[in-house]
Formats: sequence, structure tokens, C-alpha cells
Amino acid sequence: MSARAEGFILTSSPHDSAADTTQRIMFSVVITLLPAMVMSVFYFGLRVLGLYVLAIASCLVTESLTRRARGRSPWSIADGSAVVTAVLLVMVLPPEISPVALVVGCVVAIFLGKEVFGGIGSNVFNPALVGRAFLSAAYPVQITTWTTPNRVFAFLPQGIDAQTQATPLAAARFEGIYEALPNLLFGQIGGSIGETGSIFIVAGGIAMLALRLIRWEMVVSLLGTVFVLTGIPHLVDPGSFADPVFHLFAGGLMLGAVYMATDMVTTPYTRVGNVIFGVGAGTLVVVIRLFGGYPEGVMFAILLMNAVTPIINRYTDNRVFGAQTAKAGEGAQ
Amino acid sequence: MTLRTFKKGVHPHDHKTRTASLPVEDVPIPQLLRIPVSQHLGKPAVPVKQRGDEVMPGELLCDADGFVSARVHSPVHGKIKKIVQQPLPAGRMSDYIEIAVNVEETQAHQWQRREVDLNALDRDTVVEGIRDAGIVGMGGATFPTHVKFSPPSTAEIDTLVINGVECEPYLTCDHRLMLERTAELLEAVRILNRGFGFKRILFGIESNKPDAIAAVSRAAAEIPDTPIEIVPLKVKYPQGAEKMLIYAACGRTVPAGKLPLEIGVIVANVFTLVAIEDWFFWGKPLIDRVITVSGDGIKTARNLRAPIGTPFEDLVEACGGFNGDVAKVLVGGPMMGVALPTLDYSLTKGSSGLLFLTQAEVPAESPCIRCARCVDACPMNLMPLKLAAYAKAQKFVEARQHNLNDCFECGSCAYVCPSRIKLVAWIRYAKNYVRVHKL
Repeated sequence: MSARAEGFILTSSPHDSAADTTQRIMFSVVITLLPAMVMSVFYFGLRVLGLYVLAIASCLVTESLTRRARGRSPWSIADGSAVVTAVLLVMVLPPEISPVALVVGCVVAIFLGKEVFGGIGSNVFNPALVGRAFLSAAYPVQITTWTTPNRVFAFLPQGIDAQTQATPLAAARFEGIYEALPNLLFGQIGGSIGETGSIFIVAGGIAMLALRLIRWEMVVSLLGTVFVLTGIPHLVDPGSFADPVFHLFAGGLMLGAVYMATDMVTTPYTRVGNVIFGVGAGTLVVVIRLFGGYPEGVMFAILLMNAVTPIINRYTDNRVFGAQTAKAGEGAQ
Repeated sequence: MTLRTFKKGVHPHDHKTRTASLPVEDVPIPQLLRIPVSQHLGKPAVPVKQRGDEVMPGELLCDADGFVSARVHSPVHGKIKKIVQQPLPAGRMSDYIEIAVNVEETQAHQWQRREVDLNALDRDTVVEGIRDAGIVGMGGATFPTHVKFSPPSTAEIDTLVINGVECEPYLTCDHRLMLERTAELLEAVRILNRGFGFKRILFGIESNKPDAIAAVSRAAAEIPDTPIEIVPLKVKYPQGAEKMLIYAACGRTVPAGKLPLEIGVIVANVFTLVAIEDWFFWGKPLIDRVITVSGDGIKTARNLRAPIGTPFEDLVEACGGFNGDVAKVLVGGPMMGVALPTLDYSLTKGSSGLLFLTQAEVPAESPCIRCARCVDACPMNLMPLKLAAYAKAQKFVEARQHNLNDCFECGSCAYVCPSRIKLVAWIRYAKNYVRVHKL
């Protein structure tokens, strides 16, 4: 008989696997982010492209150094998760952020946000948001300095930010001026690098849903909660409270709902858990936006819900198939 | 047409086209058979023959040891050379009866059809026949069929579900049986219906076998005394698992940790039915089976009928030998099958496939990224990522409390895991620990 007659590979079943790997998932996420990334360069100039490159390099270097220091194989650089963190961190920072601040943010995101917990899969908080939170404490002025975007879509009306130098949420909250919806959708507003062109983030979200990289339960429950909870005060007093559609597309909500609240590592396992997280984060966003000291609350909302995710995971296990009638016999186990 | 199915599950690569249209062919009668006494779940059978004894086709070799056990018969004319101890594919040791085959006399043997008076059959005679024929669940679980058909007197059986799903990739033996032995299959259903008087008989077939659905529908129309509902099912793995099939076919849920009997249902694989027909109409016990030999590592993929005990080398030879460098050999399908270290095994009642894979990557596990795809895939609604984490941390009691033993190891979780974590292996490890230490 030809070929070897023995020494076949022995492994436990199953003997086949689906195509997706961690690496493929991470790079798929980056690909769905490309439209929003490209638009951010159009809005805020080539400087932003440099920021993306700098952030990716900083995150990869930080990760490989910490991995080495922990005596692990530096394979995790190749898994792409540091690239996702880097891109998302840039997207939630203002366009004029200094390179030094960005590098500090990257080091904090990877080292304190991920590696100290044990690396990929073990972190409790979204690493990009940990970096962002650190920078808002360390660079309070830079992180709230907004610039007017280039006019990429000439057919749109003049935005309000030219007069106010504020983001739409701040203008609405503190000055009672509301940005027009088309400007919100197409990013002709002030704001963080990657959060302004909501329509491009929605496109990325639809792609991720189609590729099954995220769960609709999370996105819908989060956005739905914000819509309902901002809709009620608007119905009561339209003069003082912005309409719910404005809230959906202003600020970092869309980016947060599609790319941060859906982070696999730091959000719940089950669909029920996802809905609990979504409703919780949505409620926190609205509370902070309407009653807090900041005009925007997506970052805090998601970080706070990250903190309770282990508890959500503890109490939202799926019920085993056939559980309802098995109750009586359970004592035997 | 709306197709029924169960919840969750996965869609593995199917690889069936290579053999789906190939008729079943007989393997040349082997010179030597090695027949394990343990080919079923339960106690190994006890040999009733000794070294040097002459045996005939259909003659009893081993008797069942107790109720949960199954008889083993000789497939051939021949002489018992010796009884040796060898491992079964799953690793356990078993006695094997080695028979030197008298090829000419075996070839000359003809099974005679006998007249069966269906009206004379009742439940006891049906179950007795199944036991005498040494029939076990041919879908792969190899649970003795007579046990399955002996419900406690408290259970009211009203539904028979026939399993023509064959959801394991590569395998096409059940598909071929539904096409080639349709009439016999339905004869067996009539026999069973005699014994049990089912209120409903459901026949589940996945929609990727339209020819089988058509063939069975046509044949079922010809036996008006036994109404059979053909249920086309949406293609999904593991639909052939009993609990999933029952849910898909009739919407009933088997309680966790219980048997289908509890909700009045018996499931029978199509192959099991053909074996029942063989016994009642031909007096032929379960002494051969059809196996799909396939994979890139074999020259000619085939659906072969071979005597139980046929050495796997003979099957490889019948398929023209290896094709290229074979990395992995599987008995069963790629989702639940067992990898073999060598070819030194033989055909048993439960071997539905023999697969030769040329590419067998053994990727290293990477850290769990909590994507929870395993959670979304598990048809039993378990939390595989938690079970594997408990197993790794040796927290076996916690694993058991998280319904460890409801896992039937279908492999859906490990199939979808992007970190290539060997979830099923970890779960098996925990299950074994819990069983051995009675946790």
C-alpha cells in the first residue's frame, strides 16, 4: 500500500472548523471601519492619516513589548486586536490631538486597558475607551478642543459649528442651538475624528451585521433605549430637549453602539445579556447627556457597563434545551 | 414549502457530492474478519463459540450479556481462528473474534425470503425479533435497538420519528439506502407499527436530498395502512441528533437529562429499519452494513456494503488505495467521528464512514475572545466557553452545575470557535472526571 500506513494524526472531534479566526475577525472589523476612516481624513486633513499610522505603530510596539516582558509569545501582535484598538482610539479623539498625547493614550490603552488583565480576551474594559478616559483626565484642554471640518459635501447647508466652535451636542446642551440632520449624517460638524460621519458608521455596522461580527440585539437595544428616553422629554418640552433622532446621530453614540458596545471581549455572552447591556448603556448615555456635567456620555456609559458585564454573564446563562420540564428532577443532579 | 428545523446549530462544509450519486456496491468477501464483541453501548456480548468452531452466515457468535447489550452474528462461512484483545476505535479494549473466511461457500450462500404474517405480530414479538437480530442504532450511537423499543409501562408511545437526516458531512450511506431500499425500509415501518400502533409516523429528511424525499414519498403512498408524514427539513447540523430531530419534526422538547420515551417518541435511523426488515423477512441478522469511504486521501470514494468485521485495509483496497499523503483517518463523520492511529481496525455496526483526509491542520489554541459564537451554535443551549474554562481550571463541580452532562459532543461549538479552542475535548475531559470521581 502506498503512503504511510500508520502514524496518522490523532485529535479529538470535530475534525473541521469554520473559516473565521480571531485574526480574520479583527481585520474584518478594520475593513468595515475603512469608509469612516477615509472620510475622517477628508474632513480633518492628512494629519489624521498620520495619527492613524502613529497609533497603530504605538499600539503594536506596546503590545509586543508587554507580551515579551510577560514571557509570552508575541504572536498576539498578528491577531489584529491592537490595530482595532488603535483605530478606534484615534476615532474618539479630537482632530488636533498632539502626537505625544496620542502615544500616551495608546500605551495606556494597550498596557493598562488590556495587557495587565492578561492580554487579549481577558480585559474587562474596552481598551480604546480606557485610553480615551485617561487622556480626558491627562489632557483636559486638548480633548475638548474641536475644529471645523473641511466642506466635503458642498450641497449641504452651512453647519452651526462655524459660529459656535462646539460639537452639536454641546451647542444643543449649553446654547440651545440644534444642528441640521444632514450635517450630522455626513459629518459636516465638529467632533471626534471618526464619530462625525454617522452615515459611514451605519454602513460599517450593516456590513458587520451581515458578516455576523456583531449582534443586532446590542445595537438595537442601545439605540432604541436612547431613542425612547430622549423622545419622552422631547415630547413633553420640545423647546428644551432635542429630538431623539438628533440624539441618535449626534456625538459618539453611533460609533459607540456599533463598534464599542459590540466589542466581543468586554460585553455579555448571551443575547439576553446583550440586551441588558444595551438598555443599561443607553440609559446611562441619556442620563449623562441630559443631566450630567458633560454634553456626551457614551464613553462613560460603555465603560460602566463593561464593569458590570461579568455580573451580567453570571446571571444570564442560556437555559439548557428541555429545561422547563426538567425542574422537578433537578435535585437529583 | 416551509422547511422545519431546530434552533441554533451550524452549517459545516458538506463534501457529500462525491459519493451521493454512487450506488452501494459489495466489497469483495474478505479472507479474514475481525469482529469485536463490543459494538454497542452497554455490556460487551459474550462469545458462545470457541477457537476452531465452524460458523455459518447468520449464526450466533456472541450472546447479549444482560438487557442493555446486543448479540453478534457471523457474517460468513468460516472457522474461528482465535479470539484476541485489541482496541476499539474509541480506545477501549475489546475481544475480537477472528474468522478465517471460506470465501466460496460464503459467496454461494443465499438468504431465503420468508412469508411474514403481519397480523400475527405484536409488540413483544417485534421487540424480541429486534433483539435476536442484534440490531443497534445505526446512526452512530449504537444503542441496542430493542432497549429503545422497550419503554417502561408508564410511558405512552404515540410517535415514531424516522431519522433520514444524515447531517454529518461526507456521509451518504443513509441517503443511498433511502433511494435503493425504500420499499424494505417502509416494510420495517409497518412491522414496527404493528407492534406499537403509532398515532403519528414522521420521516425527517433534509432538503438537500430531494431524490430521497421523492422516493420515500412515492413508496409511502403505496402503503395506505401505515400513514407516514414526510417532513422535509432545512439543512443544518446536528439535525440528526435525536433531541434536535424530534424538535424539528414534531415540535416536542425532550426534557434535559431524559430520553425521548418520556414524551412518547421513539426515533429510528433508516439503517436500523432496513436491518429490521432483513431480519423479519429474510431471517438475516445484522451482519453487514453500508459505509461511505471518502475524503481527498482515497483514490475512488465509494459507498460500500461490507461484512461486519471487515478489516479497514480491505476497504482501502476496494477503493483503489490511498491518494497522496494521508494525514488523518476518521471512522464516522468529521464532526463526531474518531481519529484512528493506524488502519488496524475493522468495520463495526456503528461505522457509518471511513474518511481519509490529506490536510489536517492542528492549530494551537489561542485565547478565548468571548465572541460567544459557541453559545450561539450550541443546540443544547449550553455555555461551551464557560464549560471549557471550568474544565481548564479543574472546577469540575461548577462545570457539572452548568449542565455539563447535557452536552452530547456534536462539535458545533468547536467548529465555529475562531480561537480554535478544543471545546469538545475540554468538555469530555470534565465529563470523564465527573463520572470517575462521582462528583
